[in-house]
Amino acid sequence: MSTNCFSGYKDLIKEGDLTLIWVSRDNIKPVRMHSEEVFNTRYGSFPHKDIIGKPYGSQIAIRTKGSNKFAFVHVLQPTPELWTLSLPHRTQIVYTPDSSYIMQRLNCSPHSRVIEAGTGSGSFSHAFARSVGHLFSFEFHHIRYEQALEEFKEHGLIDDNVTITHRDVCQGGFLIKKGDTTSYEFGNNETAASLNANVVFLDLPAPWDAIPHLDSVIAVDEKVGLCCFSPCIEQVDKTLDVLEKYGWTDVEMVEIQGRQYESRRQMVRSLNDALERLRDIKRHKLQGVERRKRMFNNTIDSNDEKVGKRNEDGVPLTEKAKFNPFGKGSRIKEGDSNYKWKEVTKVEAEIKSHTSYLTFAFKVVNRSRDDEKVNEILRSMEK
Amino acid sequence: MNALTTIDFNQHVIVRLPSKNYKIVELKPNTSVSLGKFGAFEVNDIIGYPFGLTFEIYYDGEEVSSDENRDSKPKNKIPIGKVRLLSQEIKDVNNDKDDGQSEPPLSIKEKSVSLELSSIDSSATNQNLVNMGSKAQELTVEEIEKMKQESLSSKEIIDKIIKSHKSFHNKTVYSQEKYVNRKKQKFAKYFTVEYLSSSNLLQFLIDKGDIQRVLDMSQESMGMLLNLANIQSEGNYLCMDETGGLLVYFLLERMFGGDNESKSKGKVIVIHENEHANLDLLKFANYSEKFIKEHVHTISLLDFFEPPTLQEIQSRFTPLPKEEARALKGGKKNSYYRKLRWYNTQLQILELTGEFLYDGLVMATTLHLPTLVPKLAEKIHGSRPIVCYGQFKETLLELAHTLYSDLRFLAPSILETRCRPYQSIRGKLHPLMTMKGGGGYLMWCHRVIPAPEPVSENATAADSSEKLAEHGAKKQKI
Repeated sequence: MSTNCFSGYKDLIKEGDLTLIWVSRDNIKPVRMHSEEVFNTRYGSFPHKDIIGKPYGSQIAIRTKGSNKFAFVHVLQPTPELWTLSLPHRTQIVYTPDSSYIMQRLNCSPHSRVIEAGTGSGSFSHAFARSVGHLFSFEFHHIRYEQALEEFKEHGLIDDNVTITHRDVCQGGFLIKKGDTTSYEFGNNETAASLNANVVFLDLPAPWDAIPHLDSVIAVDEKVGLCCFSPCIEQVDKTLDVLEKYGWTDVEMVEIQGRQYESRRQMVRSLNDALERLRDIKRHKLQGVERRKRMFNNTIDSNDEKVGKRNEDGVPLTEKAKFNPFGKGSRIKEGDSNYKWKEVTKVEAEIKSHTSYLTFAFKVVNRSRDDEKVNEILRSMEK
Repeated sequence: MNALTTIDFNQHVIVRLPSKNYKIVELKPNTSVSLGKFGAFEVNDIIGYPFGLTFEIYYDGEEVSSDENRDSKPKNKIPIGKVRLLSQEIKDVNNDKDDGQSEPPLSIKEKSVSLELSSIDSSATNQNLVNMGSKAQELTVEEIEKMKQESLSSKEIIDKIIKSHKSFHNKTVYSQEKYVNRKKQKFAKYFTVEYLSSSNLLQFLIDKGDIQRVLDMSQESMGMLLNLANIQSEGNYLCMDETGGLLVYFLLERMFGGDNESKSKGKVIVIHENEHANLDLLKFANYSEKFIKEHVHTISLLDFFEPPTLQEIQSRFTPLPKEEARALKGGKKNSYYRKLRWYNTQLQILELTGEFLYDGLVMATTLHLPTLVPKLAEKIHGSRPIVCYGQFKETLLELAHTLYSDLRFLAPSILETRCRPYQSIRGKLHPLMTMKGGGGYLMWCHRVIPAPEPVSENATAADSSEKLAEHGAKKQKI
């Protein structure tokens, strides 16, 4: 239970592993492997014992008993990005286009010590935890805190590099002290945790109430980056005011627009083919007219081979046009190799046109240097 | 000193100028750095400060011209000034990232009007403002140049320019503010020193006009690539990088955060299409040679796909026992060690191309992806991501179609991400009037391992082939 399922790379699927079972793009299920259990889908049942022991990424195929249909799933090792797609939503979540931009802009690396408030569904927490040195997550909703704590424990994040604290940071700030409802484990003589954060992410309705509390928990000797995630422009406006008051600079608000495209094909239908098809139809029409003329002018001779097939009333049938380059009238599957296709992209049917505004700001608390130390270095270089 | 947070000697840093341009500077002890019209400063004066601070260059009449008693270029006539930290409020005015196309802040009058404007009249509207072009300015270009030569502070120069502007009082206060900001971009003598992050290096290259070299990449596309590829400190990644090392730098910075002391074991294996890998941009990185050697390996496409056999290598060279090698003399010794290096490289090729499966494939190349990716993917472990950056959607589209019909790839998707910056001033929030286009696209999928079709007792051959077709169709849909 204690190892982090999200960091590091696993080769074989083992008993007790948390896996993500990919049924389809919008059906990805977190499943922990237990050899007696079975993963059920509407296509059939997949016994865990058939999955355990196979390498991660394996396709697992079954034939369903009744209809003898072929069904399959893929078993993947969880990653924060796949987790985001599979997530049980406790709140609106931060999606990958936003979270990845924020992490890049705030230069996240093992060197980063991150404050996140609030935890929410924990989607972004997983991405932070994968990439940064330590994550301090705060959640003010008690039930969501309990759920997230349980989930983070199960995923091995708490034993690794994540601390979660139950707190309304707007009221109580970010200090983590002994006796607080937190996953932080205090050392023997430790009474308060040292956060020393150099990255701050605020996904709160009123970030302006939280910003004044940051000064006591951010790193003082280096540049600290902050991002506020707010859906309304009025929130941004109020945030800008407070940022200025509390000495945050290089303020910039941006919006991220993510798009996903489907790879599709469109049939190539040439002008010549369209003309030829019309000519063909016209020819057949004329033929038909002539046949009918003959039929009414002459006495009907059933042996007249030129007339060809007739319907029940003895009226000759006009043959259907034969030239059909586009497969009209039949259902053509996209990509059918009997036709020519052009590869095209189609944007998703519904796009996330607005997630939130991202307001970035930076602060250096201690804007001075240790002159003595610099002189010392210079002297040591002269030697 | 911590070189990751503090300005330190012998590192490359990014310097942001009032013109919003970026410059990469190496901080050699006891030297000076010239920023052209923005002045020059002594490296020793900024060492020890944290990154992210803005310094002002000022002159108090005692300074020396940088070409006297200095080992800098003889043509450099920029006088070296002293530096002091720029006070917060002056800096804020210049933090307005817009390029002068947008309105100044509404709150100007409530706030303090900027120093330069405090004693100047302004007009409520621009009703009386007549466009006189350059006639409005009584100072000549020569006179302004002379002031610059005399190393007057930017404030003094701008004050004079305003006083000599005939219709300045007819401008609105907003317009005046804009005018001053524009002049500051020209005459101000300050600079901001930043850590050379991967994003800053990209921004530097974009500013320099190297769009083609960086394949039109954007910060947001690269950030998304790193996350989708699940890059971690302990991973081993296959990578093709046509940008001369920018993608590799993005990977290294995410994996190790610029830390030469990192204990993490992750590696980036760069496959190159030319005889030698081009990782030029890593010369700006602050990683030690030793660190790069340990964490970045390069191998040509040919060696990767057609590695030599151990017998072939050993038939050409066998290392001597250490004592014998040490006993070699002169030219023989040199040639022995050259051959030994070759031998070790060959052994490394064997190791990199052996049974080992990698934790991800990341690509930024203009080689034909539909033929390349399926072959490289043979070396990628199941469940690991494959992310290809492409400047054009069409090349990734062809790749996505190819991967769709290959059961070793799960759910190829084409993604796009764009960042839209806003004018970030209270009461005047709106998207910038222009922004950089481009930014490229990403193809993201996972490497998977197709299962042999399960046989059931009553399945006939015809039946199973029909089901296979169905299988293919299903894959298309998801």
